[in-house]
Amino acid sequence: MRTKLQHALGGLEGLAGWPLPGDERVFAEEWETRIFGLHVAMMGLSDSLRDAVVGYDLDAVPSAFRTTWTWADLRKGAESMNPFDYFRLRYYEKWLGGISAYLLENGYVTQAELDAATGHYREHPHEALPDRADDAVDQQVIRYLRQGDSPRRGPATPSFAVGDRVQVANPPPAAHTRLPGYLRGRTGQIERVFEGNYRYACSTGSDGLGEPMPVYLVRFEPREIWGEMAETGAGSLYAELYQTYLSHVAPATTPVEDRSR
Amino acid sequence: MSEPFSYPDDREEASAAQVRALEALLIEKGVITSTTVDKVLGYFESEMTPLNGQKIVARAWVDPEFARLLTSDTPTAIAQLDLPEGMTGAEGEHIAAVANEPGVHNIVICTLCSCFPWPVLGLPPYWYKDPVFRARAAREPRAVLTELGVPLSEDTEVRVWDSSGHSRWFVVPTRPAGTEGWTEGQLAELVTTESMIGVALAKQPSAT
Repeated sequence: MRTKLQHALGGLEGLAGWPLPGDERVFAEEWETRIFGLHVAMMGLSDSLRDAVVGYDLDAVPSAFRTTWTWADLRKGAESMNPFDYFRLRYYEKWLGGISAYLLENGYVTQAELDAATGHYREHPHEALPDRADDAVDQQVIRYLRQGDSPRRGPATPSFAVGDRVQVANPPPAAHTRLPGYLRGRTGQIERVFEGNYRYACSTGSDGLGEPMPVYLVRFEPREIWGEMAETGAGSLYAELYQTYLSHVAPATTPVEDRSR
Repeated sequence: MSEPFSYPDDREEASAAQVRALEALLIEKGVITSTTVDKVLGYFESEMTPLNGQKIVARAWVDPEFARLLTSDTPTAIAQLDLPEGMTGAEGEHIAAVANEPGVHNIVICTLCSCFPWPVLGLPPYWYKDPVFRARAAREPRAVLTELGVPLSEDTEVRVWDSSGHSRWFVVPTRPAGTEGWTEGQLAELVTTESMIGVALAKQPSAT
């Protein structure tokens, strides 16, 4: 199976010797709060909110942010990393790397500016931030937090019904996906058809996401996914899968031959 | 176990200076203001915290009709409570509750990233975002739960919810015995973030 480590983290073996993380902190270091806040601010000022169902008047917001920044962009960054770095770096270190790269690529800051400012704050870590007030910018970011950006679009157009057996696709690994790698090629059963269709924040190309489509809650038997590695005892694994990842399992129409004779 | 990777001595100082530089440059260039990041953090410190989830679970424990609505139509149930404005906001657009019951234990994971129901549970703790937890909980939830102090019998069904789509799941833990007659406020204190992700049970009355 062709896959990226980041797409197939679920079920990765050989990690049982590691102590399970007991760290209940949300942020490990104070600086992590700032990259989280920057990410949310960019989400709340993202050009993509012009299409939000709740309606945001971005033209009335005096921010120089003019591009799209969504979860998809953040995830794409993490999924494009070298797998060793993915394990080496702490969660918000990945965010810092991904957001820095985005701001450089989109021309919000230059490498020279970033290097100079980083050097400056290295020398003066407690120096106050520049002073710029504008309630309209802050209000838009908080408005986004309160109202969100639902991906639901239009009525559902499902090809599958509750109870249908479905097989999960195995598309080539793309830059970004919402298909957990351990489900590729596996067979499950439709448990629920969600109301409405759901778009994704960006096109994932040959992976198939983007335009609004039905989404299903699919139930898998652990033995179907993990074979004899499945734990004993009763269990179910539920995943939410976009229609593009599913196909019908042809019902067995011919009796199975008895090969014992 | 020894650290598998080595890091520069100035690991945190370098990141702290870089994020400070980004924030300063975005302020100077008119993208955000001097207060934008503080306001975002304040929102999560004061309004979108696990306290919301604790109140939701406590209501479900005292009101069976609410409990049924909570799992069949989670947003409508949550809207009945007096909670901060924004329960259907960012990462709460499609919140869905699953309930533990006799013979069923639920655990929520996100193997592709770190999807989390912000308005109900606040921001995810570090262990939830850790690749080791995400890798192991998918295939061996019983082993993980046992290591975390929640051993389950073989006939208890473990339901693993991998947050791969639009829904943001959380768990309604089972009400502990010995809490008959407790107020919602008292019950809410037994509900931990871990119990609402499914890696712990609610606290026992004697433990508080």
